[in-house]
Amino acid sequence: MKLSKKITLIGPFGVGKTSLFRRYIDDEFSEDYKSTLGVQIQKKVIQLDNGVELSLILWDTEGHMEISEGRSAYLMGSHCFIYVFDLTRLDTYKNINPQLEFLSKNFPNIPVKVVGNKLDSVFKTKAIESLKEQNVNFDFLTSAKTGLDVETLFNEIAVQLTN
Amino acid sequence: MEKNERLELLKKILLTDEKEVTQSLASEIERLKAILDAPQELAQKIDPLIEQKINNFTKDKLSPLVVTSLKAEIKNSQEAVVEALFPIIGKMIKKYIASEINLLNERINAQIAKAFSFKNFFKSAFRKKEVTNEIIVNAIKPELLEILVIEKESGILIAKHSKEDQNFIDEDMIAGMLTAIKCFVEDAFKTDAQNLETINYELYTLHIQNFYNYYITAVVTGPYNATTKDLLETKILDFAQNGVSKDDINNSEIFTQRLKAYFTNEII
Repeated sequence: MKLSKKITLIGPFGVGKTSLFRRYIDDEFSEDYKSTLGVQIQKKVIQLDNGVELSLILWDTEGHMEISEGRSAYLMGSHCFIYVFDLTRLDTYKNINPQLEFLSKNFPNIPVKVVGNKLDSVFKTKAIESLKEQNVNFDFLTSAKTGLDVETLFNEIAVQLTN
Repeated sequence: MEKNERLELLKKILLTDEKEVTQSLASEIERLKAILDAPQELAQKIDPLIEQKINNFTKDKLSPLVVTSLKAEIKNSQEAVVEALFPIIGKMIKKYIASEINLLNERINAQIAKAFSFKNFFKSAFRKKEVTNEIIVNAIKPELLEILVIEKESGILIAKHSKEDQNFIDEDMIAGMLTAIKCFVEDAFKTDAQNLETINYELYTLHIQNFYNYYITAVVTGPYNATTKDLLETKILDFAQNGVSKDDINNSEIFTQRLKAYFTNEII
């Protein structure tokens, strides 16, 4: 069976949404930072154990501190959101809960994965401490630079979307 | 012989050869002076030598240097080169289009000649039908290359049908990007009640027709005018009303089958 699902990456600018996107699609990483304008779209087809051939259509949106500042049209029809924040920048996750509430209110029943990126630049224990202090519930801590847990993140989403 | 006479004789014997040499040198100097004073004569002598030198220098040193510099300059300033070439290419394209129009004109003339032959004259007289429209329609036909059915919000491709020889890039990506462009335009211009209807790209026109849950994009080449638009709209509306049922939207395979059955490899 063939299925297509739209996954949208959101979050503040400079947190590494595009880097995660590139790491997953092309297994590449670049230190050069180029701000995403509008949206870029890529596709990855994966064969799941349950026999499903899943086309993940990834929408990498431009960064905004508040989701409501972005174009809501890009978020419409998403089957899953990946909310990315930067573990090295407190300002990208201290205000995360209102953003997640915004998503659950406007896009009910759509799963959201909360991902802290740039784990390669911080001490994991310290980062987790800081997240606890800020009352942030995360799903994954990743590093687009090293590729840590990037594949796992998308595979978990793929399985969740086809079950 | 007197002393003086003897001295004169001695001078004559000793200096006669020298005098001839001196005279010869003096006349040579005079000749050279005449050449130097007359620029035309000087040019006649020097020009071939200078030309030879310049030719050798151009061939051996200057040309390779210019070629290398030009290559480096073109490589380093590709954008500037493209900018400079664009008007020239534009003119070439214009010439090409003019030549194609001439060919088209010839084709129409040939068709007219054929249509107004005795055979067709009687044929059209019996059919009582205007043949000119038929000629023009036959000469210029828009061609439907591909048709995509795309979920409105997610941009996910529901169904597609294209000519067998058509080889576009990944249709899933096209569907996604088209939806993003649509979203952007409709959002940017705050036009809730209006939709993006066409996108033109050189020889292609993307005809976009919106429905409640999905939109249909038809990729057309050739002249896309009001008549073509009207024909396409009618055909797509008819397909949406009679070609598919509401439940087919949830089944991509069935939707694709219906689309293929309705839009065969046809020329609209």
